[in-house]
Amino acid sequence: MSEQKTTRDQPSLNVGKLIRWIAGILLLALIGWRVYQTAFIEGSYGPDTWMRFIIAGLIIGGMYSLIAIGYTLVYGILFMINFAHGEVMMLGAFGGYFIFELLASIKAPSVSDPNMNFLNAYPVISVLLAFIVGTVVSAVAGLLLERIAYRPLRKAPRLVPLISAIGASIFLQNAAQLLFGPQRRQYINPVILWRGTGWSIPVGDTTVLLTYTGTLSLVLSALLMIGLFLVVQKTRLGRSMRAVAENKQAAALMGIDVDDVIGKTFIISGVLAGAAGVMWGIHNGLFNHYVGFLPGIKAFTAAVLGGIGNIPGAMMGGMLLGLLESVGPAALGIDFQLKDVIAFTILILVLIFRPSGLLGEALSEEKV
Amino acid sequence: MTEIVIQTHKLSKIFGGLTAVDKVDLTVPEKAIASIIGPNGAGKTTLFNCVSGFYAPEEGDVLFYGKPIQGQATDRICSLGISRTYQNIRLFSQMTAVENILVGQHPRLKGTWWEAVLHNPRYMQEEEKAVGEALHLLEFVGLDGLGDHLARNLPYGAQRRLEIARALANHPKLLMLDEPTAGMNSQETADMTAFIKSLRDNLGITILLIEHDMKVVMDISDQITVLDYGTKIAEGLPKEIQTNQQVIEAYLGPGAAALSKKFQRKKTHDA
Amino acid sequence: MRTTIKNGIRFGAIISVVIIFFHLTGFSVVAANMIGGLFGNVDKNTALAQLPTINLAIVISLIGLIAGGSASKNTKTDSWTNAIVSGTVAGAFSGLFVAVFVYLIGIANFLEVDLRSYLPEIGPDNIDYLLFGGKASANFLYLGLLTISGLAGAAFSKGIIRANWRKQVQADSVQSFNAFIQKPGIQKVFNNKIVVYAFLAAAAFLLYFLPTKWGPYWNFIMGTVGIYILLGLGLNIIVGLSGQLVLGYVAFFAIGAYTFGLLTAPEPHAIGMNFWLAIVFAILAAALTGVLLGLPILNLRGDYLAIVTLGFGEIIRILIKSDMLTDFTNGPSGLSDLVQPKWLGKTFNDVNYFHLTVIFVIIAIFIANRLQYSRTGRAWLAISADQTVARATGINTFKYNLLALALGAAFAGLGGALFASRNQFTGPEDHILMVSINVLCLVIVGGMGSLPGVVVGAFVLKGVPELLRDLENYRLLAFGALLVMMMVMRPEGLWPKGRPEMETLYYRKHPKDSPPDGEVQS
Repeated sequence: MSEQKTTRDQPSLNVGKLIRWIAGILLLALIGWRVYQTAFIEGSYGPDTWMRFIIAGLIIGGMYSLIAIGYTLVYGILFMINFAHGEVMMLGAFGGYFIFELLASIKAPSVSDPNMNFLNAYPVISVLLAFIVGTVVSAVAGLLLERIAYRPLRKAPRLVPLISAIGASIFLQNAAQLLFGPQRRQYINPVILWRGTGWSIPVGDTTVLLTYTGTLSLVLSALLMIGLFLVVQKTRLGRSMRAVAENKQAAALMGIDVDDVIGKTFIISGVLAGAAGVMWGIHNGLFNHYVGFLPGIKAFTAAVLGGIGNIPGAMMGGMLLGLLESVGPAALGIDFQLKDVIAFTILILVLIFRPSGLLGEALSEEKV
Repeated sequence: MTEIVIQTHKLSKIFGGLTAVDKVDLTVPEKAIASIIGPNGAGKTTLFNCVSGFYAPEEGDVLFYGKPIQGQATDRICSLGISRTYQNIRLFSQMTAVENILVGQHPRLKGTWWEAVLHNPRYMQEEEKAVGEALHLLEFVGLDGLGDHLARNLPYGAQRRLEIARALANHPKLLMLDEPTAGMNSQETADMTAFIKSLRDNLGITILLIEHDMKVVMDISDQITVLDYGTKIAEGLPKEIQTNQQVIEAYLGPGAAALSKKFQRKKTHDA
Repeated sequence: MRTTIKNGIRFGAIISVVIIFFHLTGFSVVAANMIGGLFGNVDKNTALAQLPTINLAIVISLIGLIAGGSASKNTKTDSWTNAIVSGTVAGAFSGLFVAVFVYLIGIANFLEVDLRSYLPEIGPDNIDYLLFGGKASANFLYLGLLTISGLAGAAFSKGIIRANWRKQVQADSVQSFNAFIQKPGIQKVFNNKIVVYAFLAAAAFLLYFLPTKWGPYWNFIMGTVGIYILLGLGLNIIVGLSGQLVLGYVAFFAIGAYTFGLLTAPEPHAIGMNFWLAIVFAILAAALTGVLLGLPILNLRGDYLAIVTLGFGEIIRILIKSDMLTDFTNGPSGLSDLVQPKWLGKTFNDVNYFHLTVIFVIIAIFIANRLQYSRTGRAWLAISADQTVARATGINTFKYNLLALALGAAFAGLGGALFASRNQFTGPEDHILMVSINVLCLVIVGGMGSLPGVVVGAFVLKGVPELLRDLENYRLLAFGALLVMMMVMRPEGLWPKGRPEMETLYYRKHPKDSPPDGEVQS
């Protein structure tokens, strides 16, 4: 009996792998052919439109990256999906909004314009304040989340903290709805940052608009990512974070306060998510209590895409996802309604064909 | 000539740059109690994991009754008749003791899910017999009356015995025990030693074990294999191992062999 | 003493945040209304201005009682002084914080700043009510009320709930109850088949006649509860038994509903299939989807599975809704005029539908129960406990995980078809993510892996909110908080799963002196 099974088992595994690869190659070929058709044969869009898609993709990708880093940091240390991370971003968006509203209601009359408000009189300070308050709100939310919903569950089976995280996500969403109302709100930016204003870049016969808000988002996300990278690689805190991610017990034996490091990790991911939230508001304008949900899930997709636990992976994954989502529907010649389907399909495909992500996972190996 | 149950041939397992098991040859004949000893980090558990299928070795073969099994899925290897226990007890803690043993019987039972829904006579008979056997096994390891307790509520020694009972439920030809006496006091250790002996004597199972307690090892082993830094440094009867210089040095450091000789002479003198 | 006071301050701070949150979300007013409903001093037409302020005082005092009680419970020492001091401090501090908050909103009201565009529940009327009818002394009232109720709560908790005499009485009563149950006579009654059948007959009688009496509204609500029990039983197999977290369970529900709908609706395909056949197809389609989805992804780590299935659920919904498939699925407008079952030439009314649901639920419970205690169920439990060891014990984990997914999906397919048929409609908005979350919640709240837990959970999460219609807006909020609290305090659920007493049962059947025929080693 044993002989049969022995000989049968080995090849059947390989057949599964083979089928998977053939399917993958066929799929790639199909996508390639489709892209070739829409982009070159049909030529539905000119180069300027493609440029617009790419710019929009990069801007949204930057925000995804910031949120994705939060997922990756927490996953690397606690092996849990911080499902409420999108809601942390949403709270940041509300924080920035209220600062803008507050500053807009403060009068700062000047000689030229007696009706001037603070927001327009000091736009740089205002935007800075909005980001600071947004990030602080998110950081505090992240810290409290960890304290209340995750810390008591350190030793619980792995499903338990995830369910707790789902609960926290539902709670935060509905709390925001009840507190601030269900209606959509709009960021009223300072005049120099009005949406729809920006530099015109000539492409072919026409021009493509590079908005100020988009540029602000992109530059700021890049700066924050560089800052994070330096923190993780160069500082004492970064070293202890990496040590805790590697092995909590050993880190504790080396005198690292593991709970403290985990708390700080949540603060850092909260800061990044909060910044993304304020950017979202400034760049897209409209938002409500539901704003964090989809970006949150997509950012997790981005983190998995780049390889969970891997910080450069999360950055790259976010950018890539933003680009694919923005360019994809046009390139494949499908409906723009289906842009969310693209994100989720990418997630499923990545997990099937390369579960460790594009840049590889950076998780400490679980012991057998 | 007795048959050879398990044989490894130039077995190697590499983690990154570290060779955890380095070209190890091991041969265990039928109805033997074979021990693997060695200092911490010598690669004993890695060797176990290669045999039971947790790891796929980079090089070499594992032969079970002459047929290669290396790299196969653990469930397949288990259903061939190799059962094992774990260094840190890994029972299904939310299930009762009887249920743990019934899970151990899994590869031998045939009931499918639709039979379970229909409760056809064949299924009912099989279940009834399985429970009876599980209770018999429970009695055999000395846990009768504790069958309906959740595994996690059992005392430590009982958990070790239950883990062995679960492994036995599969009617294994080879039983692999990873430090069966770890954390036990001397009385419990003596009981366990006798119990392991009785497994071989009464059930005729071949046993491969990892053990740190030298008293146990010397007491029950038919053959001992010594690993150090992943390589086999000695093999033989307990008596031979006791006096092997390389082994003593592996355990106590270089130069220890000479000291030990002196100590032994003194001991014989005392006697 | 210092730690006692610190403890009190901590609880005071937490409780004050809770009260302020209640004020800001308008829950305090809703709660005051409900208290009024209990006392009968409020009816549906009572305007906020006429709402008696005593109701608000009662709400605040109740919260204060809880604050004092929990603060005193959390003092480590057993002395009366410590318990009372911590409770009082908790009450006083929460009163202080709330007073400051009330003072601030009072000022805002006085300055006629309208906060409603940012905090919609804090309008002038509400603030007036929260200030006990615009009293200037409202903050002192809060301080006093909370301090006194904190003290009372602490005393109550120390003196009655945690009193030694009460513990003794409780232990005694439990003991005597157990002794009573164990009495041979009582045992005989319980084990008597006639008694069991009588109970079952009574239950069947109730289930048969209640629906004809309580009207279509309750038939609808209870039918929904029944469908959620079906869904819960299915997800319980996936999450509770085999331990895989699936967040996109609604996908299978949607597949079931749409398969049923497309096969029976006059638009857009006009196949016009028979009800019973369509139900079978819906179940098969859902199970097949489960297998197809499971094949590539079941080897993933547990939490990846959660996200992938969540994505899958969203994909299904977006695709159903999209313009691309409008010709096939009718897009956002959904499918209507689905077929209704006929029995002996009579079309089903609401009572028949309820009966049908009950029958399906009973069949489903029967199947789930038998699965749970079978070889298959044991394999699932082993996998959920420790996948690695389960494999090393000879269980083909992939096969069993796939089986769990397919069977769980089949239950959802049945639920979806039944839901669509009863509503005579199904559209994309029936299949939002919230359905998955609701089902997951009911499984977890009831107790993962426990069948009675699923039934209890379905009633708690789908039935109780219908009773408390006033709380509609706060339901999801409570859900979220409940999930977190449940995981922190009672992860095993309301009715945790029990394991069968196989040894006892076996020896009852085969007394020990006659040895069992099973052999250990052949």
